[in-house]
Amino acid sequence: MSFIKSTAFKYIPILVFAIIIADYFFAISGLGSIAEALRQFAVVISNIALGLGVISLLKIHGKNVQRRVEGRWLYSIVTIVTFLTVFILGLINTNGEQYQWAFRNVYTTLEQTMYASTGFFIVSSAYRAFRARNIDAALLLISGCIVVFTNAPIGEVIWSGFPVIGDWLLGPGQLPGYRVLMLIAGFGTIVYAYRVITGNERGFFGGGE
Amino acid sequence: MLIKDGRIIAFVLLFGSFVLYYLFTRMMEQGKNFKIRTLAPLEALPEAVGRCAEMGRPIFYMPGIGTSLSLSSGAYILAGITVLGRLARFAAKAGVKLRLFTVTIDAMPLIQETIRNAYALEGKVEEYNDDDIELIANQSSLVSRYIGAVQRENPAGACLIGYLAYESVVLAEAGNLVGALQISGTVNLYQIPFLVASTDYTLIMEELFAAAAAVSGDAGAVGPIAAEDVIKLVSLGIMILGMILAPIGIKFLVNLLRL
Repeated sequence: MSFIKSTAFKYIPILVFAIIIADYFFAISGLGSIAEALRQFAVVISNIALGLGVISLLKIHGKNVQRRVEGRWLYSIVTIVTFLTVFILGLINTNGEQYQWAFRNVYTTLEQTMYASTGFFIVSSAYRAFRARNIDAALLLISGCIVVFTNAPIGEVIWSGFPVIGDWLLGPGQLPGYRVLMLIAGFGTIVYAYRVITGNERGFFGGGE
Repeated sequence: MLIKDGRIIAFVLLFGSFVLYYLFTRMMEQGKNFKIRTLAPLEALPEAVGRCAEMGRPIFYMPGIGTSLSLSSGAYILAGITVLGRLARFAAKAGVKLRLFTVTIDAMPLIQETIRNAYALEGKVEEYNDDDIELIANQSSLVSRYIGAVQRENPAGACLIGYLAYESVVLAEAGNLVGALQISGTVNLYQIPFLVASTDYTLIMEELFAAAAAVSGDAGAVGPIAAEDVIKLVSLGIMILGMILAPIGIKFLVNLLRL
């Protein structure tokens, strides 16, 4: 394990990076197929990780049931039964009516319900953000109100200037700041990638020490 | 031509950046002192853990959604796990229960190893418990599980650091309801306003990567961050030059960047 941590983790990323980056920039025959194989390998690893995830999920919830962990074990049974049902249905036929029914009427419905609840949380978050405690917060409050009136049909009825100012705020008003932040995030990602491939970022390999 | 069309300048800029990162790392190794400014969210980690210790409550951590192998979320999740390592050490030292909720299946071994290692470094490996790390099937399940856990376990601190999407506002507001001290960080720009509004401290955009470097503090991590400032200044210069040249009809810079 120490060899893997000290050597393999340091040199494998450098090698993979060199191949992928060379394929992106240089027209060298044969390199494309190696880079493509590496990309495919990432997909394979990701699928293996999915398998590990399934094992981990069943282990955690199986343990909950076995130990009758208070407040959890009944939900764990639901999780295991649901998992096995959908897994078996999927093995039989992913295009089958039963599998599609479960996906459409159970998964999608629950997913949409959770997503819809976001609206309420946004309102409480906005209430906190829009308290005009200082000049910055007051500017945010004014801008926010204008954008709300731009998007709400009643806004234009109250004053025809709302959509004009609102559209400006959503376009030229915020775009420069948005692009600068995206640019800087890009720089940050490149630096981080450099640190990872040169083996200088090891914090996620077990704490880095 | 050896270099593909339209990628010459990109190659020069990327290669030039790497040379700068290397030079700054070497300079730091030879004694030059570069410092990352104090990041309030990082400084708040011991405060959050201390609060949990005083109140006898757990601290929650959520390293974001997506996968660590993904192009869009991988770097952010890994940077978040680096910060997790530091938090886990504080938690282990103070005897605070660290609860982690994740949907990132492929990062599970990294998360487990990072936390276990943090406990080992504090000499408390026997206190590490695999059951405190919960793997959840997907984003929406995570939202409902996290909200439920917040209501039942009443954490006094919570960290949402990694690649965050719509769940950020829900989780942060759930933490707010129980009065948890919350630290967040993401590079997803659309979620930043929610995090700023709902959490106490936020790592904004590339601060997340700078925080990961500050955690390790060695030359190889901090040197490239210092070099990044030079690159930012050069980019600013190019932008100002472009703003002057383009309106007067000189397209030299635009054409050069398209090479």
